[in-house]
Amino acid sequence: MSAATVEAAGVTESPADKAMIEVRDLRKFYGSFEALKGISFRVGRGEIVGFLGPNGAGKTTTMKILTGYISATSGWFGVAGFDGFDNSLDVRRNIGYLPENAPLYPDMGIIEYLNFVCQIRRIPVGKRKARIDAMVETVGLTSMIKKNIGELSKGYRQRVGLAQALIHEPPVLILDEPTSGLDPNQIVEIRKLIKDLGKEHTIILSTHNLPEVQMTCSRMIIISNGTKVADGTADAIQAQHADTQSLLITARVSEEARAAMSDTITSIPSVLSAELLQRDGERVQFRVSGSGGDELAEAVYSTAKEHSWSLIELRRDVMDLEKIFHKLTQY
Amino acid sequence: MGNIWFIGRRELASLFNSAIAWFAIVVFLFMVGALFFWTGEFFEVGQNTMRGFFDQATLLFIFLLPAISMRLVSEEKRTGSLELLITMPLRDVEVMLGKLLGAFLFLVITLLLTAAYPITLSMLGRLDMGPVIGGYVGLLLMGLSFLSVGLMASTWTKNQIVAFILTLLICGFFYFIDAMAGAFWESAQDTVAHLSFRAHFENISRGVLDTRDIIFYLSVTTLAVTIGTFSLESRRWT
Repeated sequence: MSAATVEAAGVTESPADKAMIEVRDLRKFYGSFEALKGISFRVGRGEIVGFLGPNGAGKTTTMKILTGYISATSGWFGVAGFDGFDNSLDVRRNIGYLPENAPLYPDMGIIEYLNFVCQIRRIPVGKRKARIDAMVETVGLTSMIKKNIGELSKGYRQRVGLAQALIHEPPVLILDEPTSGLDPNQIVEIRKLIKDLGKEHTIILSTHNLPEVQMTCSRMIIISNGTKVADGTADAIQAQHADTQSLLITARVSEEARAAMSDTITSIPSVLSAELLQRDGERVQFRVSGSGGDELAEAVYSTAKEHSWSLIELRRDVMDLEKIFHKLTQY
Repeated sequence: MGNIWFIGRRELASLFNSAIAWFAIVVFLFMVGALFFWTGEFFEVGQNTMRGFFDQATLLFIFLLPAISMRLVSEEKRTGSLELLITMPLRDVEVMLGKLLGAFLFLVITLLLTAAYPITLSMLGRLDMGPVIGGYVGLLLMGLSFLSVGLMASTWTKNQIVAFILTLLICGFFYFIDAMAGAFWESAQDTVAHLSFRAHFENISRGVLDTRDIIFYLSVTTLAVTIGTFSLESRRWT
């Protein structure tokens, strides 16, 4: 995306190169129900951030506030350098938004609809056709081009939704559950598309699918019950929330040594427990839990060497992201 | 202004894609023609006038225009497309005025289709064009205010039928308000007539374009669009 096309599409670059999205202590009450209890985060240029959380955690509410559909009860946010409360129209000019379930006009044709979006997005008449063609190509709608939106399957509707969000080349993309309701092949395609888009756009996407975040996002923010409970890369969150170190050790051990193996491992000072996972002939696998970071692995390695176990594999067993998610979001 | 025009054109196209709009046009043209010649006593009066046509048309408006306006916002609320529209760089009032424009253009097209009547009548004999032009201006103004009330009602609910009934009740009430008041208390009729859609129409359709009547319809429109816009904005706070 060149700077010239950005200007042509009526999108204004942020005055200062700050965080593309900044949210400070955002709160939202629906009547007496507090849906957001003071959420703060920043998203830098070119990041793909996954918004994770159980249903009703506040993901959609946050997105609706960022896109100007609803107002926060208190707090502050800015997008692309514009104040979310004072410059709502500028904020919206800089965002491409795909709401949950891609609610489009079923009675309109795909091109007719994209043309309407071009009008509202102030894309100059002469550039509209090129932009629409480019979008149809990007999201893979070429074979459907003659159809009405109402005739499309969920997956293709989702693509039209993405096309309208992208057509003005916004610096920020907000996608609410972009892959929900799609079949596995479509999910793979949309994820790939999002990853590609992440090279040029700042993206926030929400999902309750963990592998999706690991595959497509550079960072994740976990929200639970209206509060942010984790923020960082998958690795960082895993490292932070693993209470103890866990190692997987696989070795080939002779019959007589095997009986004593468990006790030998447990006798290492930093080891808390050892659990036999598999035994297949001479080949055994243990999970070793303990404290001490890298030293734990070193200690286990030297013990193995000392007892002449033929080590096949020794690796860190990170706490499953799903378990961390579960631990963080149950209340 | 551009945004209002873009939304209006989209809304107009969408109306022509919906069965209900075609149904309304057909019913309107058929009924207005049938009533004009059969019950409007056109042939008995012995005068070349469109009086009967305009009287029938305003009555039909009470039933048919709410059917046009009922879907304007409520349908988008139901399907969720309102969220996508409103998160575009548009002011809420632009969304409202655009939708009103779309429905109004639909009304203009419908009325253009009745141009056959004045044309035929003027070929039959001398047709006094004053009341004809007044009548059409009156229909447009009354139609505009009915559509605004309908637009307002459609921001209140996701259910088109509820929007339809509310619009029908409000428009019907203020159409007959002077007649109703007169039935109970005769001297009240003239006072209440200031609030009546019908009384103001009667002035205009005589060919007298009085600013008070025009201001009445435009005030109703402004009031309804304003309330509707607040109602649309209220989603932010609730």
